[in-house]
Amino acid sequence: MSSRAWRLLADDGAGAAAGLGLDEALMAGYGRDARQRPPTLRLYTYRSHCALIGRYQNLEAEVDLDSCARTGTQVSRRPTGGGAIIMGAGQLGVALASTAPAGQRPREIIEELAAAVAAGLAGLGITAVFRGKNDLEVAGRKIAGLGLYVDDAGGMLFHASILADLDIPFMLQVLRIPAAKLAGKAATAVAERVTTVTRETSRPWSGAALRDAIAAGFATAFGATLEPAAPTADEQSRAAALAADRYGARSWLADRSLAADGSGSAVLTTPAGLARIYVTTHGDLVKNAIVVGDFNALPAALVELESALRWRRLDERSVAAAVARSGAAGALGVPAGQLTLAVLDAGRQADQRATAAPVRATGSCYFPDPDVPAPALNGA
Amino acid sequence: MSHPHHAGLPAQAAAGAESGRGAGGLLRILGYPLALDRQYQPDTHMWVLPAGPGLVRIGMDALGIETSGTLAQLSFRAAGTGLAAGRPFGELEAAKFVGPLVSPVTGTLVTVNEAVAADPGLAEQDPFGAGWLIEAAVAGAAHDLPGLLADPDEITAWFAGKVEEYRLSGVIAQ
Repeated sequence: MSSRAWRLLADDGAGAAAGLGLDEALMAGYGRDARQRPPTLRLYTYRSHCALIGRYQNLEAEVDLDSCARTGTQVSRRPTGGGAIIMGAGQLGVALASTAPAGQRPREIIEELAAAVAAGLAGLGITAVFRGKNDLEVAGRKIAGLGLYVDDAGGMLFHASILADLDIPFMLQVLRIPAAKLAGKAATAVAERVTTVTRETSRPWSGAALRDAIAAGFATAFGATLEPAAPTADEQSRAAALAADRYGARSWLADRSLAADGSGSAVLTTPAGLARIYVTTHGDLVKNAIVVGDFNALPAALVELESALRWRRLDERSVAAAVARSGAAGALGVPAGQLTLAVLDAGRQADQRATAAPVRATGSCYFPDPDVPAPALNGA
Repeated sequence: MSHPHHAGLPAQAAAGAESGRGAGGLLRILGYPLALDRQYQPDTHMWVLPAGPGLVRIGMDALGIETSGTLAQLSFRAAGTGLAAGRPFGELEAAKFVGPLVSPVTGTLVTVNEAVAADPGLAEQDPFGAGWLIEAAVAGAAHDLPGLLADPDEITAWFAGKVEEYRLSGVIAQ
């Protein structure tokens, strides 16, 4: 990406459709046939709260729409991949619009941009690492979600959501997660897998307060200078049209992947007692996995297994490789083959449920759903 | 990083001690399968295989697939759609990425591989065989299309260089 002066946009309190509309409007000036120009970096917050799902997720399955209505939470669908997230004053949104670099693979682009976010967090004393195909983590806990979209013209939009803070009980209320099965343990389980800038630095942060540090991270990572700017009149007008016609439109919200989603679980008997493995799936991919048991502290090898399983295909070879790499079987005191079979069993259950009920309960990007039946949907 | 740098070496030298012929006549380059009976678009990792007079089959090599992220869905334009080299013929959805499948040739989309549309995992399991994506009608000689790598030595050197590059940057596993 160019090292010339980048445009830096900053705004707060965006609505769900308006926020995404401006992100896409910023892409309009980029692409392989467009005039070469430096990237635009937008660092912004949403109004509290908005629930944003990934490009191909099923809205009703990811978000509790009744709860959204009760709490005034706006919903929309991002153009980028990834899972469902809650955005508000406690999270900083990052949108980088540019021309997709020719010859660079999606993972290269995501990794390069993740490094810029990590550089920003490093300025706050936080060591965040990019975990291969997943997200930015601090000591195994997710601190930022990432997604990338390239349009037909070669324009590129990178999204990141950085957790300055997170209201976990609120998130459990709005996103469909396994509160029912885990009862009071849900918030603890999320807290074991997610962290925030507030938690890492032991002082309160808002999303907006992170802006300078993250801007500095991008400037350092790309050797760029950032020049504060406002969206052009054309961009504002395009953003308003996109907010109305796309990101606020029923048809866009109702869109979904051809791949069905499902959730399942399996019980594993270990020397220390029972452990339960929850798996949520998208087609035959693991969207999320979690191992719950009577642990004093969540073993690092289980965090490694959950991470290794995420977005992995549910076949024996692939799951066995994830199990072997994680060392989780040793941590649980069971043979690796037994743990592999338990994960596959949970996956099979998810697949059966997905087949039986294409619209299903499933997890957020933070946490999977337990083995509860799919909810009844209005009009379904 | 223990692998030697292979860029610029002939196919047999690049294959070296870490590589060899695998099942189905595929060469293995630093752990990745590679078919030398076809042409490649190096930026997009798309391969092009002559499939009959004026007809080519198109797919994505194993490196291209792995560096996209785990595939969740592949969708394609309809048969009969005009194709332009460097322009989309479909869309790919992976774990964190949504973006276009970019055509390596100019012509007309003739057939979509319905099996891979129904099961994108096929493209990961058998990228040079059952995991092909589309077939296209092209003008001119299907074995010598513009902008594609066709020489086996050149292909092998490019591919080995890419494996090393992606490993060094951590984009693929060591």
